[in-house]
Amino acid sequence: MSRQHTWGKAYSVAVAGQPNAGKSTTFNALTGARQFVANYPGVTVEKRTGAFAYRGARITLVDLPGTYSLTSYSLEERVARDYLLDERPDVVLNVVDASNLERNLYLTFQLLEMERPLVIALNMMDIARGRGTAIDPEGLSEQLGVPVIPTVSNRGTGKHRLREVIWETCANPPTRHAGFCVDYGEDLETAIARLERSIQEDADLTKQCPSRWLAVKLLEGDPEAQRLLEGPVESRDYRLSGS
Amino acid sequence: MTLNDLKAGQQARVLDVTASGATGQRLLDMGFVEGTPVQIVRNAPLVDPMDILVRGCHVSIRHDEAKTVEVELS
Repeated sequence: MSRQHTWGKAYSVAVAGQPNAGKSTTFNALTGARQFVANYPGVTVEKRTGAFAYRGARITLVDLPGTYSLTSYSLEERVARDYLLDERPDVVLNVVDASNLERNLYLTFQLLEMERPLVIALNMMDIARGRGTAIDPEGLSEQLGVPVIPTVSNRGTGKHRLREVIWETCANPPTRHAGFCVDYGEDLETAIARLERSIQEDADLTKQCPSRWLAVKLLEGDPEAQRLLEGPVESRDYRLSGS
Repeated sequence: MTLNDLKAGQQARVLDVTASGATGQRLLDMGFVEGTPVQIVRNAPLVDPMDILVRGCHVSIRHDEAKTVEVELS
C-alpha cells in the first residue's frame, strides 16, 4: 500500500500560549519531525507549521509566537492576533503552564473572547504536582466550557488524548460559543453592550471579528482595533466607486 | 508608596499601576492588578533589576518600572 493516499478532511489548528508554556514542545509531540519553518508575511517572526493525520483527516498545526496577552503593543502579539482573526483556524490549541496557572489563564480568557473553538493542553502537570499544586482538569474544563487535557509534553504524556480531542473539536465544532465569558462588571458591561449593538449593524465588521471582542478592545483604546472600524482599504475603495 | 521603595523580604498589596502604554499593559499581564499581594525577593547587586514574587511567579523588573506600581505594606 502506498503511503500516498487521498486525505479526507483538512483542518487547521493554531497553537497559542505564553512564553515557556511548552508550545513548541507540544507542537513537536503532536507533529513529530514533520515541520516547515517560514516567516509570517512581512515580518521576521518565525512561523512553524507541521501536520499529523488522524482518522483520515489532515490536521495542520501553526505555532503562534508566545505572548503574555493579545494586545497590539508588540509585533508578536499583533502577529498572533491577526492570525486568529484573519485565518480563522478550526481550533485554537492553548498550551497552558500548569505550574503558573493563574498568570497563564489571563491569555486563555483573551483567547476565549476571540470565539474560536478552544482546546486547552494543561502542560507541565508533573512540575505543578511536584510543587504540591493540585489541579482538577475536569473542574477547570467545566468552568471554562472547553476541553482541558493534562499533558507532560516533553515526555509525550497526553499527546494521544490531545490529538483525539483536537480532531473531535475540528470535526464537531461547538455550534455557538460555549466558552467562559469574563464579566467586567455593570458599568463596563453596559458600555460593551452598547458598542456591540452598533458593531452588529455593520455586517462587514462582524465578519472580520467577534463583536464583543471588538467592543472590549475599543474600550481599551487599542489602535489596531480602531483601524478595523475604518474597514479594509479595498472595501472602502469599492464603496467610494460604487456611490 | 511605590514598589521600588520596598526592601527585600517586604510584602505589600498593589493599589494601582500608573504606567501607560506597553509597560502598563505588560505589568497588568504579569498580574500587577489592584489588591494583588507582592513580595520583594531581592535586588540585583548593581541596583537593577529587582525580583518580585507575584501570584507564584518571579517577575524581574527595573526600578523605573517598579516606580509606577503603587502599593501599601501588608
